[in-house]
Amino acid sequence: MRHALHAEWTKLRTAPGTALLLAASIVLTAGASALAAAIVKCPGSCSADTTKLSLTGVMIGQATVATLAVLVMSGEYSSGMIRVTLAAMPRRPALLGAKAAAVTGVVLIAGTIAVAASLLAGRLLEPGNGFTTHHGIAALSLAHGPTLRAAVGSVLYLVLIALLSLGAATALRDTAAALTVVLGLLYIFPVLGVVALDPAWQHRIARWTPESAGMAIQATRNLGTLPIGPWAGLGVLAAWAAATLLAGGLLLRLRDA
Amino acid sequence: MAATITPYRSGQRAGHDGFVPLLRAEWTKFRTMRGWVIAMLAAAAATALAPIALAGIAKSNDPETCTHGLCQVEASTVATGPDGEAVTDSFYFVHQPLAGNGSLTAAISSLRGTGPSLRKRHQFPQAPRTEPWAKAGILVKAGTRPGSPYAAIMVTPGHGVRMQDDFTHDIAGPAGPVSAASPRWLRLTRTGDTLTGYSSADGTHWTTVGTADLAGLPATVQAGLFVASPDYTVESQSFGGGDQGSSSPTQATAVFGSVTRRGDWPASAWTGSHIGPLELPAKAGGHCVASSCGDTPQQPGRFTRSGGAFTVAGSGDIAPFVPIVDPLQVALYGTLFGAIAIIAVGSVFITGEYRRGMIRTTLAASPRRGRVLAAKAIVIGTITLAAGLAGAAVAFVFAERKLTALGWTPPVWHDWSLTSQVGVRVVAGTAALLAVTALLALAAGTILRRSAGAITAVIGLVILPLVLAVILPTGPAEWLLRYTPAAAFSLQTSTLRYSQVTTGCVPYHGCYPLAPWTGFAVMCAWAVLGLGVAAVLLRRRDA
Repeated sequence: MRHALHAEWTKLRTAPGTALLLAASIVLTAGASALAAAIVKCPGSCSADTTKLSLTGVMIGQATVATLAVLVMSGEYSSGMIRVTLAAMPRRPALLGAKAAAVTGVVLIAGTIAVAASLLAGRLLEPGNGFTTHHGIAALSLAHGPTLRAAVGSVLYLVLIALLSLGAATALRDTAAALTVVLGLLYIFPVLGVVALDPAWQHRIARWTPESAGMAIQATRNLGTLPIGPWAGLGVLAAWAAATLLAGGLLLRLRDA
Repeated sequence: MAATITPYRSGQRAGHDGFVPLLRAEWTKFRTMRGWVIAMLAAAAATALAPIALAGIAKSNDPETCTHGLCQVEASTVATGPDGEAVTDSFYFVHQPLAGNGSLTAAISSLRGTGPSLRKRHQFPQAPRTEPWAKAGILVKAGTRPGSPYAAIMVTPGHGVRMQDDFTHDIAGPAGPVSAASPRWLRLTRTGDTLTGYSSADGTHWTTVGTADLAGLPATVQAGLFVASPDYTVESQSFGGGDQGSSSPTQATAVFGSVTRRGDWPASAWTGSHIGPLELPAKAGGHCVASSCGDTPQQPGRFTRSGGAFTVAGSGDIAPFVPIVDPLQVALYGTLFGAIAIIAVGSVFITGEYRRGMIRTTLAASPRRGRVLAAKAIVIGTITLAAGLAGAAVAFVFAERKLTALGWTPPVWHDWSLTSQVGVRVVAGTAALLAVTALLALAAGTILRRSAGAITAVIGLVILPLVLAVILPTGPAEWLLRYTPAAAFSLQTSTLRYSQVTTGCVPYHGCYPLAPWTGFAVMCAWAVLGLGVAAVLLRRRDA
């Protein structure tokens, strides 16, 4: 397993896209968060959850994280590298485990940087837009329990999105197909969850689709009115990630490469 | 003597170097890739089926709540107009019966509003005292039943003189507000079924503003002076989703002078009455509805007469009723599933060539690279257009049928057929926006040469703005729907909007700031820009 991990780490480290995609994840997440913090103003959105606001970029940065994780697996299929990999590492579940570990590691680091930068941008920009103690809104601080939970949770959210993408890519073996499925899941259902006319379906979509449920981890206000609790929501996303990884692992084991 | 070496010439005849063989080559490439054909069929199927599924879960309008954009209070004030459409018909009318042909002339020297009532004013600090679409003028109506046919010539504080009839028709006349120093003379003449509106600045030189043909107008009509002032409505969305909407009735007062009648008018006095029901505070199930809490009821109008001058106060509006929710458009969000598959196919149509090295063969066979890109664009655009047309037509017909069965019925919601103007625009528009999305994907694929980057980038451009538009505040949300390719989704709007009706509608409700084809033009501009950059890069770079 240690060798498998070492091999996967080497592949990930030396692939030309990795550094670029990780940098893009950090820049997009932090940049979009800062932009959101700069354009949302009080009055107007005084009731906004300032922690969630400063973490808006996660919704955009997740696309590059998903791309990275998909490529970790589908890249091997498109170049034919997978046959060499499987010849060197015949224990396929261990291979998937090693890939998952390597992806988790890099996304944890990049995600932490991105989330920290987002919160910092929020802390610096939000008071200038009217989110001040005058309106009963304290500046963002990690000493505040829910904010810390949202920050840690957002990093975990990105990791789980990466694992979900890795699982989908393992099952589908094609970059375009896997990316389409993952981004469709992440971006179409949140729109449907808002515009759906039947409140029962809005509620279902908010509770059970990976993006909407997972994003509950960022909420720090009015927790009682959320369709799903923060950790329960992240749990739903974790279940999605586990299910796709399991499906991908089974297919990887059963099929010829 | 040196021998001459004859260079080798192949016995094969040279192939055609035309554009048609190039198109055929690209079509063959598409047709023979099983995955692409399956993905395109899946896109058509998703475009057709997802909207039908979404329509199926759109519960019919629940009168107990305001969540569907039509509160009980509004429902009680909606009348049915001459063409069977939902209308607002609520105004103060100082009228007399007019038998046969005749005319009425008046000079309006003042039209002022009082704005939202004092109790509500703190809630609407931005509210103008006078609504831009307040109306005062001369009106001829088949009867006093709300929704009955009418024609009117009027002045408005913000939109000049207007000639309007049967709720949906609006003709602009001379611009400018009225004042005591510059009164506006208006005249409305009935000749058979034709009503003609005139306007004058001095009472001697008249210009025709417009005519209205009210077929089947009874011999005796109600004619007189009217004043209306629509509700002041603010609608906004704040960060994190959710909207705040609030409205308050307003009132306006107008001064009419030199009232002159021609024709068979009675000698009796003028009757003043409010046409239509008076709006009550919004209540549902005995509880105040959050979106319109604390409303003051609409004040009934009144009039006073001194000599030839009338002072008339009124409230309400005479206009088509525009519901906020558009159930068909909501169902058509299902076409996003098709769009995302089309983005994948459009990107891979060129990135697949880079991955397999096929691009070198393609460019060797057709060294003029711009033409290769053009052929690819025509082939993928046409295929997507055909798949989109089939999918959208099926989606439209079945989603509309399902919505009707669920209670989204006329007069408030239209029952559009496939051949109606809206049906054609929605179906052709959906297919066209999918085709242009495919072109955007092709351009991104050519520029980035990697499917992962191209797909992510195009989804970020076309679909992500729709996600952000429902969670950002009004300003940034409308900006996104104005300048990103997502503006084209306005083609899927099925509610008719009128320039003479101000609706507080925000992206959260699926409202787009641009008109349908204007939004589509924005997407086309992105595609043209993308393909232009792609053509330049394809020519400059080594394959």
